[in-house]
Amino acid sequence: MHEVSVAQALLDKVIEECLNSGYKSVRSVKVDIGRASGVVSDALFFAYNALKSDTIAGESSLIINEIDIAARCDDCQKEFTTQEKYVYECPFCSSWRFTILKGKELNLIEIEVD
Amino acid sequence: MKIQVVSKILDANERIAVENKEAFDRHHVFVINLMSSPGAGKTTLLEKTISQLKDSISIAVIEGDIAGVDDAMRIEALGIPVVQINTGGYCHLDAGMIRDAFNEFDLTKTDLIFIENVGNLVCPAEFYMGEDIKAMILSITEGHDKPLKYPTMFQNSSVILINKIDLKPHLDVDIDKIKTDIKKLNPSAVIFEVSCKTGEGLQGWIDWLKTASTSKRL
Repeated sequence: MHEVSVAQALLDKVIEECLNSGYKSVRSVKVDIGRASGVVSDALFFAYNALKSDTIAGESSLIINEIDIAARCDDCQKEFTTQEKYVYECPFCSSWRFTILKGKELNLIEIEVD
Repeated sequence: MKIQVVSKILDANERIAVENKEAFDRHHVFVINLMSSPGAGKTTLLEKTISQLKDSISIAVIEGDIAGVDDAMRIEALGIPVVQINTGGYCHLDAGMIRDAFNEFDLTKTDLIFIENVGNLVCPAEFYMGEDIKAMILSITEGHDKPLKYPTMFQNSSVILINKIDLKPHLDVDIDKIKTDIKKLNPSAVIFEVSCKTGEGLQGWIDWLKTASTSKRL
């Protein structure tokens, strides 16, 4: 359950950002979660909602935007994307050597505050 | 009111990890994050390694477990500094825990720190703590299918020890497949086949460690 640590880090950032901007409560939180980030969206959602109670983000909704994996093959140089959570080989040439371009994101994008 | 933030959720951990790394580098301390599933042999490997190296290299150990002090007591019996971290349920160590732990050591008198992570093949690979390298143990009793089932840890580890090879005659395990799959996932990984029980193969790992920690002192 390392989603709990990620959710706590997210909540800490959201609350700090809200208070630093002079607002009193958080209405919604948008995050980008890459499919290859090692974080499962359902578990992050569950952990965030459990941790937020009794904070200024207690009524906030978490909006998760999942980012597909995009990679470039180191051998045939072709780029490819997948909705899988893990890539083993290039779909064009079956090489195991490739560079991940997208899909590792664990980013806070936007918060809506009152 | 909407506020665009756009920052990494785990940047607090990353920041502390970079500070840890700077402290380790300043004092030329080589730091290894040792990971494996529970029972693969992390603590036994440390016992054997420390026994062989403690007269030539000054070593300290950070032990991470959900609960208990058994591992720290085993290391303490070897007469070297050890700090036990109990995560109380968290499945991995993070940079803040390591910062609090290494402050217990005198870095000016330390050459090598082992961080024994919580036994788990999943999360520990995701959290950088400021270590120089990640190393992992796979014991052959876990089966030859593990590299492809838990790829992240095998990809992120510079050194991979295949342990308990003394049990090979009793198991239907394909060690060649383990090595082939590791090489596919991580072509530059250094692999050692060892038995912490009999000592077979450990010399290669010990020599590798000596070279790595010495090169950081120069």
